[in-house]
Order: sequence, then C-alpha cells, then structure tokens
Amino acid sequence: MEVIKFEFLKLLKKSRGWLGPILVFVLIMIAYPLTVEVSDIELSQSFFSILWIAALLVTMLATEDIFLEDFNDGVLEQYAILQKSLSFIIGSKVFVYWLVIGVPISIIGSIFCIGTTNQSALGYQILPILLVSTYIFMNVFSFGNALSLTKGSVLGTLVTLPLLLPLLIILGKVVIAINFDLNYLGFLFLLLGILSIIIIIIPMIISYIIRAHLE
Amino acid sequence: MFQVNRAYPYIFYLSLITYLFSIFWGLFVTPEDFVQGNSYRIIYLHVPASFISQSLYLAMAIASAVYLIWKVKLSVYLVRSIAPIGAVTTFIALTSGSIWGIPTWGTWWVWDARIVSTLILFIMYLGLISLHDSFNNNEKADKFLSILVLVGSVNIPIIKMSVEWWSTLHQPASITLSEKPAIDLVMLYPLFGSIIGFTGLIACLVILSSKLQIIKREKNKSWVKDYV
Amino acid sequence: MNPLVKAQNLSYKINDKKLFQGISFELLKGKALHIQGENGSGKTTLLRMVCGLTKPSKGNLIIKTDKEVCFIGHKNAIKQYLNIEDNLALMNLNNHQDLQKYLSIFNLEKSLDINIANLSFGQQKKISLLRLFLNSSDLIILDEPCVGLDTNSQEILVDFLKKELANGKGIIYSSHILLDFDADSLGI
Repeated sequence: MEVIKFEFLKLLKKSRGWLGPILVFVLIMIAYPLTVEVSDIELSQSFFSILWIAALLVTMLATEDIFLEDFNDGVLEQYAILQKSLSFIIGSKVFVYWLVIGVPISIIGSIFCIGTTNQSALGYQILPILLVSTYIFMNVFSFGNALSLTKGSVLGTLVTLPLLLPLLIILGKVVIAINFDLNYLGFLFLLLGILSIIIIIIPMIISYIIRAHLE
Repeated sequence: MFQVNRAYPYIFYLSLITYLFSIFWGLFVTPEDFVQGNSYRIIYLHVPASFISQSLYLAMAIASAVYLIWKVKLSVYLVRSIAPIGAVTTFIALTSGSIWGIPTWGTWWVWDARIVSTLILFIMYLGLISLHDSFNNNEKADKFLSILVLVGSVNIPIIKMSVEWWSTLHQPASITLSEKPAIDLVMLYPLFGSIIGFTGLIACLVILSSKLQIIKREKNKSWVKDYV
Repeated sequence: MNPLVKAQNLSYKINDKKLFQGISFELLKGKALHIQGENGSGKTTLLRMVCGLTKPSKGNLIIKTDKEVCFIGHKNAIKQYLNIEDNLALMNLNNHQDLQKYLSIFNLEKSLDINIANLSFGQQKKISLLRLFLNSSDLIILDEPCVGLDTNSQEILVDFLKKELANGKGIIYSSHILLDFDADSLGI
C-alpha cells in the first residue's frame, strides 16, 4: 500500500502530468458544440461519439510517458530489484493514473452529457461506463508505452490503438442500448468482465516487457 | 532447408494448377446467381483471401506462443516473414470486398463490424511490422513482436463472431461444419478449390519469405556461407 | 560458510558477440570484491547480473541474501522535479535514525526543500548515495560510486564501507578511482 502512496505523491506533484490531459478533455468537450451549429436534437445524438473519442485520445495523451521518466531516471531499475512483485507496482501505477486522470474525466464527461442531452438519468448511467472504459484504455495504452520504452513512446501507443477499436464499437452499442432502455446492465457487466481480465494480465505482460528492456 | 527446396516446385505448381482450374471453373462454367448476376464471381478471390488472412494471424499467434514458451528461434522468423504476407492478403480481402460491394449493396464501404474488424487486422499487421523494424532485429524485438501478436489475437474471435453478435450488412457464413451449406453445390466446389489453391500459393510465399528471413538473420553462421 | 554470491563460468553474449566468458567467483560475508577492467569490458553488465536485472547467457549464478540487494548504479534514481524531502520519502528513508547525521555530514540538512534539478551533479550523487548509507541489506553492489564526489566524501564512503564489512555484509564494486580498501580483485 505504500507503493500506491508513493505513486500518488509522484503524480500529484507533477502537475503537467495530470492537469494537462484533464484540460485537453474539457477543451475538446467545449470546442465541439462551438464547431457544430445545429439544433439541440442533433447535437445530443452525435455527442457520444465525441465523448468516446475524446476519452480515448486523452487517455492516450495521459499515459504517453507513464514509464518513460521512471525508466530514464533509474527508478524502474530499483523497482525491478525489489523483492516485491513488479506487476503489482505497475498495476498500482496505472491505478493511480486512473484515479487522478480517468475519474475526473469521467465525471466531467457525464456532466457535459447531462448538459448536452438534458437527461440527467443518461448522465448517471454513462458515468460507470466511462469509469470502466477509461481504465481499460489506460491499461492498454500503458502496455503500448512499455513496448517502445527505449525508442520513443509514440510508436508503441499507436500500435496498440487498433486493439481498442472493438471496444469503441461496443461503447457505441451501449449508448443505443441506453436510449432504448435495453440491456444496460448487461453491457456494464461485459465491460467489467473485460476490465477484470485486463487488470490481471496487462501488468504481468508489462513487467515482462520492462524486464526485457532493462536487460 | 534442402527438403523444402526439393518439395517446393511440386507445391507451387500443384497449387497454381488447382487455383487456376477453380478460377476458370468459377468464372466461366458456373451459372449466374439468381440475385446478384455475374458479379458474385469475385467470391473466388474474396473468400480465400479473407480466410487466409485470419488463418495467417492464427498461425502467427501459435508460432509466437511456441517462441515465448520454448524459445525456438525459427518460430519467430516464421512470424516475421508471415507478417507482410498477411498484410497483403488482408488488403486483397478488403479491396475485393469493396469491389463486390458496389453492385451488391450500392456502396463500396460500410462501417459494419466485420469490415471494421478486418481493417483493424490490417492495421495490426502494419503495426507489427513497424514495431519489429524499429528495433535493431535483436532478441528484444522478437519478444515484443510475439507479445504483441498474442495480445492482438483477441481481434480474431471478434472478426469471426462479429457477424453473429451484431446484426450487420455482411452475410453470415454459408459453409458451416454441421448444417447443409446455404450455397448451391455447383458454386461450392470451385469455392473449395479456390480456397485450397490460394492456400497453397500463400504457403509457397511463406516458404520463400521464411527462407529469406532465415538467411538474413543467421548470416554470420558458417552453414549460410556455404549455402549461399 | 555460506557464500552470499556464487558465480560459476558466467558468460554474456550480446548481438552475437561475446562480452565476457568464464567468470567465476565467490563472495563470502564480510568480504569485498573489486571488479576491474577496461571501458566496455562488461563490468556494469556483470554487476547488473548479480542484481538480477540481466540474465547470463551461460553459467550459474546463485545469490543467497535474506534482505534485498542495495544497488547504486549509473543512474541516480531520484526524481528531478521533486525536492530532497520528497525524494527521501519516495525512497522510504524519511524516518531513518541516521538520516540527520548523514544529511549534516553532506551539508544538505538546510537544503531539504530545494528542487533536485537545481542541485549540482555531485550533490545529486550524494542524495542517491543516501540509499547506500541508510541501507538495510546484506549485499551491496556499487557501480562507479565515486564519480562526481569530492575527496572528503570519498573518504567518508570508504570509512562507511569498511564499517559495513565489519558488520558482515558483502560488497561488490567497480571503480576506476582507486579506493583505500581491502578487497579481492576480479579482472574482466
């Protein structure tokens, strides 16, 4: 549990690490209605696509150097030498990034959703979906960052972006399901199931990759 | 290496003959489809190409698992050599599909789940090649390539099942293991023939490409210098 | 006597080129080992092998320690955008009993809230060496520990290492600067 406290300390003091992505998200959500001059009905229909895309891109931006600085500093080496499992440290790092960046984004997104669609029930239902999907995005993007740790982190993140496109398809169906009062809980549990598999497997894979980088 | 060299001409000519024969049969002998007219004949290119592109990815996934567990260097050479061939095959599947789409659906691109998943497969192939080449061809690059292939193999069930899970424009499978095929027998035989022939041709490409990859990666060994 | 580290016939190959081969040594408690060699001969790689970061291509390496290894490498492992106090908290050394003593020896006790990026190279090295001075390990591995240190601090380091040897710890180090230290020698 100390590990989580330390990661919090590191991330919170590095204000450009978390304030930047949140501000970018807010800017995108504000800029979207400005660029589209339509009536209220059409705005609310295409709002969700902007929401998912903004969440995707902002999480990609946020995890762009999740391991890079620690790797260059030598802090990652010290973690690898410890007898504690490296997967747990990585998992807690991604968890802290999600708490500091992903949760505010989800809250802001659902607030904008309530504001744009004028249905507060929709906003409350979107919030857990956003929370779970931002966590999944962050996990996969940090996997991508770990892949190209030594060669500049953009390539790895871009390579893992196609893996998340099926998730976007599912998220699109979720919105339709909410609108027609279909199987919302089913989708939520599907996302939670995907998240539970990813939470266990991705830190193990990332620790394998990081140990390969440290060799 | 030498057994493959000896068998190679037989495989090549046999599969070439099979594929050309089934193409000829399909293009000229089988009758017109009731609904689609003559344009359905592109099925003899589209179905083998998409079948092969998914099977190649599965082959890469199995070879990557073999490399990670048993550290057989030959498997990762196989993965690296299949990657561009898979990309080209997926591209053929996508373009032949969109050419087929114009007379059938009236549009050459639809954003439905199966087509998008195949596009994702294409991008994954390109990403694999670019990631592996950004490292200098060493052991680290091989490990990362195998991991990425395995993580990306989650896309294959999505492609296969996307037609059932979501209601899409793409037609569901006409050939299943248990039920009577939904496609007429006259068109089924050339379809089988073209699948087998195309598989054989692609296998020839894989063999050629793997030979090249083996020679390139092991060029410091003495047996390569004798062979080349 | 159980050795802390036992290495048999280690060899390392990178990109099809052998870096070193046939390295064997034993490290007992209370002993020190000095790795010597030219630049690029593989000293850092060997030290990282003992830490567990790099795996040898061939050979056996057995490490028997109860506690974690203390490794001071080339990189300082401190965060540049935090100050000294926060870095010490990250290293979990905030409440160590000897902390104030070493901070005053190194003249850093008044600079606790200065950003690391504003410190000199030698001062940053001293902060990373605090991990060594306040360690609670059995095995200490140092890779060029004296780089950037003034003569006074080098003497402090040597005195401390002698005390650690007397406490029964094992030390493996590589240093181009000669240290006044009683150690076995291993050449690569």
